[in-house]
Amino acid sequence: MAEPIITFQNVSKTYILYKNDQARFKALFFKPRNPKTNKALNNVSFSIDRGESVGIVGDNGAGKSTLLKMITGVAFPDEGEITVNGKVAALLELTAGFSLEMTGRENIYLKGYILGLEDEYIKEIEENIISFAELGDYIDQPVRTYSSGMKMRLGFAINVNIEPDVLVVDEALAVGDASFKRKCKDKIKDIIAAGTTVLYVSHNADSVKEICPRAIYLRKGSVIYDGDTADTLKVYHDYKEAQKKKK
Amino acid sequence: MFTSIFKEHRGFGKQIFLLAKNELIKTYKGAVIGPLWAAVKPAFTVFVYWFAFSVGIKALKQVNVHLNGLEHAAFSFDFFTFMFVGIIPWFFIQDSIVQGAKTLRTNRQFITKVKFPVSTILTYTGLSRLFVHLFLCVILYGYIIFYRVSNGNPPFDWYDLQFFFYCPLLFFFFLALSWSTAPMSAFSKDFESLIVSVMSGVFWLSGIMYDSYSFTGPLKWAMLLNPINFFANGYRNTFLYHRGFWVYKTELIIFAAELIGVTLLGIFNYNRLRKKLPDVL
Repeated sequence: MAEPIITFQNVSKTYILYKNDQARFKALFFKPRNPKTNKALNNVSFSIDRGESVGIVGDNGAGKSTLLKMITGVAFPDEGEITVNGKVAALLELTAGFSLEMTGRENIYLKGYILGLEDEYIKEIEENIISFAELGDYIDQPVRTYSSGMKMRLGFAINVNIEPDVLVVDEALAVGDASFKRKCKDKIKDIIAAGTTVLYVSHNADSVKEICPRAIYLRKGSVIYDGDTADTLKVYHDYKEAQKKKK
Repeated sequence: MFTSIFKEHRGFGKQIFLLAKNELIKTYKGAVIGPLWAAVKPAFTVFVYWFAFSVGIKALKQVNVHLNGLEHAAFSFDFFTFMFVGIIPWFFIQDSIVQGAKTLRTNRQFITKVKFPVSTILTYTGLSRLFVHLFLCVILYGYIIFYRVSNGNPPFDWYDLQFFFYCPLLFFFFLALSWSTAPMSAFSKDFESLIVSVMSGVFWLSGIMYDSYSFTGPLKWAMLLNPINFFANGYRNTFLYHRGFWVYKTELIIFAAELIGVTLLGIFNYNRLRKKLPDVL
């Protein structure tokens, strides 16, 4: 049996919607009584094995982003437990999370340290990142001088070159011009072929089918179906059709 | 649970220095005299206070200090020197509290977008303020040497070394305070505004323009409870009073208790709010 690399155990996450700013201020000192809440994830459990590629489908607001944020370590669950064994690279918001006054090169190191990499290792992959991002001499300029396309390329290059154990990809990812887009797609395919665990979020059924043999369907924070991609997509479509008919 | 802040800092030291450096660049970049602004603003403030009290109101020209325990005869200083030594730590304290409360909000890209050791944000912004403080301290020390020589005293004094006792404590105390105030301000803008409003008044309640040792009765204790006085007096112990930090034990013990309290409270608040921060920012 393959070892699980990501496990979610009865994970729930509730966002508290404060009535107003006073209520929020009060909540600093007292627990709010019967607050309005939004359950973003409700008792979600699943496990993903090393090397598996899993698609995540669902409508807007189904909890996909919350789920991904938890895997990347940005958000935290209220209940339940999440284990992720390995480096996570996220191709989500590529322009975010840079220190703008630092140079591109320094940001590579910053990102590396956050991921717990050693100096030597970062030095090794540094050149790969720089050549992949096609930044040229700009690499030693502060990131604030970069265009948004350059920032995205750097963000992408860092994430794919750290040899992640888990790669989180949002299909709606924009990485600049067509030729670079192609390069990115190829790189993602290489990574998948190399046996990296991939989590793929998409609205596009075909691309999920192409990449992931397994898919999870989320609706209103709950896992509705988890299994073969074809089956999951069928459940998803049936539900959508039913919704349409109702209207 | 108690180690989470410590854990976030492990192996991140070099990055903290780099980020602190860049915080400074961010502040002073684009200005013609650049980092000199760090000195201009405090210098102007000092001038204004001196002008208002010594020249304008004509009330404060000399300050006489009677130290507790009578281990010394009374000191007499001109108001400018007395205030200057006390106000240098105040500049750091004010910035630490006001900026420290806002820090998480202004650095939210590290909290809501990527995984980041959040408590180090407080450390590197604090560190960048410490650099400015050290710069001001160099100017202060230059003035002190000038002051001593012009009064016929030797320029250096062994007690000057106490700076290396007070300054790290100053940094750590207000860092630990920001473990509480920063996440709370991130949560509620009202809390942030509360801190900013209170700070402008705290200056006058602290012994910076006057001698906090000069009180008796309940006020004496109120002064001892204010940690800002500990530092204002500490810097004066170092540069003016030739007095060891261990001499006034009551003051030292009260401060030590406050330091422990603030640290524990900071760890508690940070851990309580850390995981909710990405949701509210």
